Amino acid sequence: MRRFAAWLVAGSVLAAVFAAYLRPDLAFTLANQLWNCF
Amino acid sequence: MKSPASPPLSLPIGQVLACAGLIVTLSMGIRHGFGLWLQPITMERGWSRETFAFALAIQNLAWGVATPFAGMLADRFGAFKVLLTCSVLYALGLVTMALATTGLAFTTSAGVVLGLAQAGTTYAVVYGVIGRNVPAERRSWAMGVAAAAGSFGQFLMVPVENVLIGSFGWQNALFVLGVGALAIVPLAFGLKEAPFAKPTPDQQSIGGAIREAFAYPSFVLLMAGYFVCGFQVVFIGVHMPSYLKDHGLTANVATTALALIGLFNVIGTYAAGSLGQVFPKRYILSTIYLLRSIVIVVFLNVPLSPMSVYVFAATMGVLWLSTVPPTNAVVAQIFGVRHLSMLGGFVFFSHQIGSFLGVWLGGRLYDATGSYDVVWWIAVGLGVFAALVNLPVRETAIARPVAQPA
Repeated sequence: MRRFAAWLVAGSVLAAVFAAYLRPDLAFTLANQLWNCF
Repeated sequence: MKSPASPPLSLPIGQVLACAGLIVTLSMGIRHGFGLWLQPITMERGWSRETFAFALAIQNLAWGVATPFAGMLADRFGAFKVLLTCSVLYALGLVTMALATTGLAFTTSAGVVLGLAQAGTTYAVVYGVIGRNVPAERRSWAMGVAAAAGSFGQFLMVPVENVLIGSFGWQNALFVLGVGALAIVPLAFGLKEAPFAKPTPDQQSIGGAIREAFAYPSFVLLMAGYFVCGFQVVFIGVHMPSYLKDHGLTANVATTALALIGLFNVIGTYAAGSLGQVFPKRYILSTIYLLRSIVIVVFLNVPLSPMSVYVFAATMGVLWLSTVPPTNAVVAQIFGVRHLSMLGGFVFFSHQIGSFLGVWLGGRLYDATGSYDVVWWIAVGLGVFAALVNLPVRETAIARPVAQPA
């Protein structure tokens, strides 16, 4: 049970961070940075 | 003849993993988002992009060159002192990076100082403590946990740093990160080992360990494989957005692709460490490099679309830093843990040379040929080469002659 909970927490944290990348402000900043570099 | 023996374990595994994991989360994470400072710094200081890029190139080289020496000090005096010193250096580098007003000062702070700081706070030094305090039968898994933590740090810190810059401004954001780097100090206490005994004449010297490693074919083969890892990962990380742009894809696709690489990298590094407990690590490494080549070939030969990019990013993410735990675990398996940080540092140096060439050749050959095709195929060829050279690696402990009593 504890093992399952640990994996659930880890998965949730990863999903939350991934969601942060999809926020328009970060996506906009990253897109600008990436494109302006080349 | 005798084989490398493991010293008695002294720190609880849970404590080692928690502290090591948090340390590399910080040390690998903080540096990963430096690209976000490119625009604000170059605009405010009136510098060219080259000034910024040159400092980061120097940082990567300094990191690679200094890691064997940081490892040497950690093996001799303990990781604790190296971690303390380098966390302070990390904070100092970030603060002086924020205050630098000339290109030279920026290169010194963001390049040299931060490169040295990373050498003493990342995998090589931390893996020495793990090697000495985790039994051999769980070492690969433990290294996988620490590597996954570092991968998570890279994944986490880009959005965090974006929020910091947005909330506090680019300069204050660097000061905040400087305070963050100092959090390594209390965490280092969790990796503080009992003082090492002074080396006795019958123990292997640093020079002896270096000579032994470089004369041992398997070590050289591991270095060759890690060189390829650096080449492929950094070439793709740096040049893929440009490749996608050339082929008419939007910036959002590139952003999502980098996020997918970050996400699956965490999973891949943990999985590779865990698999190292079950399968021979040379086969794991060989498979990773071969799969990278196959994935690149498929990517280049299917019609380019957002979906093909996402699938490529996710699969490449799984294979991204998954070479770290098996490579270091094999070094520990062959040579023991006495000089593990230093030897891991030499292997990492080879990785950084590959990284440098991946970035530089990517740009150079693009300029020369007008496309990335040649470099992609070099990456494929190198992947096959790395898959082959890892196959004959001997994972058994090296046999050393024992001094006979007179």
